[in-house]
Amino acid sequence: MIKMPLFGKSQKSPAEVVKALKEAMLSLEKGDKKVEKAQEDVSKNLLLIKNMLYGTSDSEPQTDIVVAQLSQELYNSGLLVHLIQHLSRVDFEGKKDVAQIFNNILRRQIGTRSPTVEYICTRPEILFTLVQGYEHQDIALNCGTMLRECARYEALAKILLYSEDFYNFFKFVEVSTFDIASDAFSTFKELLTKHKILCAEFLEANYDKVFAHYQGLLNSENYVTRRQSLKLLGELLLDRHNFTVMTRYISNPDNLKLMMNMLKEKSRNIQFEAFHVFKVFVANPNKPKPILDILLRNQEKLVEFLTKFHTDRSEDEQFNDEKAYLIKQIKELRPPEN
Amino acid sequence: MDDPFNLEDDGLMPFIHRISSEQIIYKSKKNQCKFIGKYVMGDLLGEGSYGKVKEVLDTETLCRKAVKILKRRKLRRIPNGEQNVEREIKLLQQLNHKNVIRLYEVMHNEEKQKMYLIFEYCVSGLQELIDSTPLKKFPIWQAHGYFCQLIDGLEYLHSQGIIHKDIKPSNLLLTTDGLLKISDLGVAEALDMFALDDLCQTSQGSPAFQPPEIANGLDSFPGFKVDVWSSGVTLFNISTGKYPFEGDNIFKLFEKIGEGVFEIPEEVDELLSDLLRGMLHKDPYLRFSLPQVQHHGWFIKRHPRTEPSVRIPPLRGDESRNMTVLKYLESHHGNNLEEDDCSDSHYFTEHDLTAQRLQQELQQHMQQQNSRSAPPSPGTVAAAAGVPSTETRRSRRRDRWRGTFRIRKLSACKQS
Repeated sequence: MIKMPLFGKSQKSPAEVVKALKEAMLSLEKGDKKVEKAQEDVSKNLLLIKNMLYGTSDSEPQTDIVVAQLSQELYNSGLLVHLIQHLSRVDFEGKKDVAQIFNNILRRQIGTRSPTVEYICTRPEILFTLVQGYEHQDIALNCGTMLRECARYEALAKILLYSEDFYNFFKFVEVSTFDIASDAFSTFKELLTKHKILCAEFLEANYDKVFAHYQGLLNSENYVTRRQSLKLLGELLLDRHNFTVMTRYISNPDNLKLMMNMLKEKSRNIQFEAFHVFKVFVANPNKPKPILDILLRNQEKLVEFLTKFHTDRSEDEQFNDEKAYLIKQIKELRPPEN
Repeated sequence: MDDPFNLEDDGLMPFIHRISSEQIIYKSKKNQCKFIGKYVMGDLLGEGSYGKVKEVLDTETLCRKAVKILKRRKLRRIPNGEQNVEREIKLLQQLNHKNVIRLYEVMHNEEKQKMYLIFEYCVSGLQELIDSTPLKKFPIWQAHGYFCQLIDGLEYLHSQGIIHKDIKPSNLLLTTDGLLKISDLGVAEALDMFALDDLCQTSQGSPAFQPPEIANGLDSFPGFKVDVWSSGVTLFNISTGKYPFEGDNIFKLFEKIGEGVFEIPEEVDELLSDLLRGMLHKDPYLRFSLPQVQHHGWFIKRHPRTEPSVRIPPLRGDESRNMTVLKYLESHHGNNLEEDDCSDSHYFTEHDLTAQRLQQELQQHMQQQNSRSAPPSPGTVAAAAGVPSTETRRSRRRDRWRGTFRIRKLSACKQS
């Protein structure tokens, strides 16, 4: 490696830093007596790598060639896997450095290729380890930022969506630690909405399983979970990419019953979100018989209920238009002739 | 004075003063501060067939915004003018995406027959930027950045069942932080939530950006592909400085478009040519879909910044396009001392300055007496050294308070 004695301390080459970091990680993992020393080495080398990628206040980031060497060393040494598997053992600042290094390397592009994305596709355990990170308070948020960066890439989002681990998110978004739950929810939402075609195909292919789990969120004890998941449901159903999923969802009478119950919830916010899902059932020009039956059975009650529903939202023209439209639709409902 | 002609009928001659131009006193137009609701008006940003767009300041949030002023009278003269505005408002109100212009508020003035649409503030637009360059185009990396944002915004619009139908550089605005905003949904169409396909029957977009199916007058056509086509023409335009189809008049233009044959300039690389050909395919069903565009190599590729970026050109000599509301606010509060030499405040201060000087002298006198009788405190030492002590500073401030209080009381009297 080229050294630059002119500038005082010779700079370590990417290979040297990666090697030193890996050794320090290994001794940290073994957990022998020299833990403190190992931790210190880990932090020091992480900082060196981070500065190579981002530069510091008085040095520019390294050239593309150095960054390419560094990435190559990270792939070949398997260090990325180590760092993520043993993230808990790294100190507080070091954890943040790991996330920053990971995200920077991930964004690396050569022409139309993203080498790190390709690398992670061959080592999907990196993704699953990150998902499991939500189970550990000390690393959950660091893993969250890395996961969301991964979710931006269709290939990685696909691996995550189609894995069993994806269903853990239904658990994570409900955990009692608020910041972790909401971080998990934003990752969850990103996975379900970012890549429109991929998401639509996934929801269609796994409709029963996903919505069985989703039902749990809508019935959650946790107010925030209930409200957020209801809002997301509305967004998913009203997205034209999910047309097939929407038609399927609004054909199921159980879903209609759930929305009608949510219209009567204590929380006005939940009532309002439920309205935006409920309207789709009513607006459907081809209502299946079970749906029509429920609406007809409650025709008068629904008209009365909707007439008094959120009357103070006089400013919201669109809402009032939609409400008036629904009332008209329900009033005009007639049983099919046969 | 010395009239060489000595005209007889002096009294009947029209009496004209001749004034040399140096003698004319110009008075700068007063920056009359105007409010619309909670918004303070600033300078003109643009003018369209519908009316003016001006910069405003939201007095509650102190955010820069823009107001589109629509005159009912003018709207009625434009075919479908009123319906288009109604539809645009309705559509915009339900949209929320970083690459689609946000409409915050709509206000009406029945008396003036005007409508005020409050939008988020955009400092410039793609057309304006292109026009400021000699070759009427962007460096590839910059065109790529804008194109990606356009496609992101379009993906969102399509996900909401909205076909824009008038994508072109002049409808793509830019915020101060470089975000692209798709604007002008005046001729956009919202599909029915349950419509099985995206077939449309009408289009009122700009001719040069219309696809062959519209140029050839087909009865119905897939709507989303209209936006793909016009985004293709937009990309062609901002990356090459040329148009794929041109004609001296709309008939010749539509003839060219209808044939669907165009040439890509030689300097365009293979990857971009392939994308342009895909987006400008004559057959809408073979034309790229938005996901196909998003998966195209040119779209994914990171383009190196080899050339400097085209920057936002100065507006009325202002390099950084500062907020223009400020001067109106300053004149409103009467503290624009540089320009307004003969303003009321000047006379006011002349009279007041003597009073103030007397008061200061009195104060100094009293302080000197105090320091003689009492042992020196840190405050008086500071005063003697010419630094106003906290004590005097505080008393001056109190005086100022009293002054404003008096004025306030006076104005309260006037009102009642």
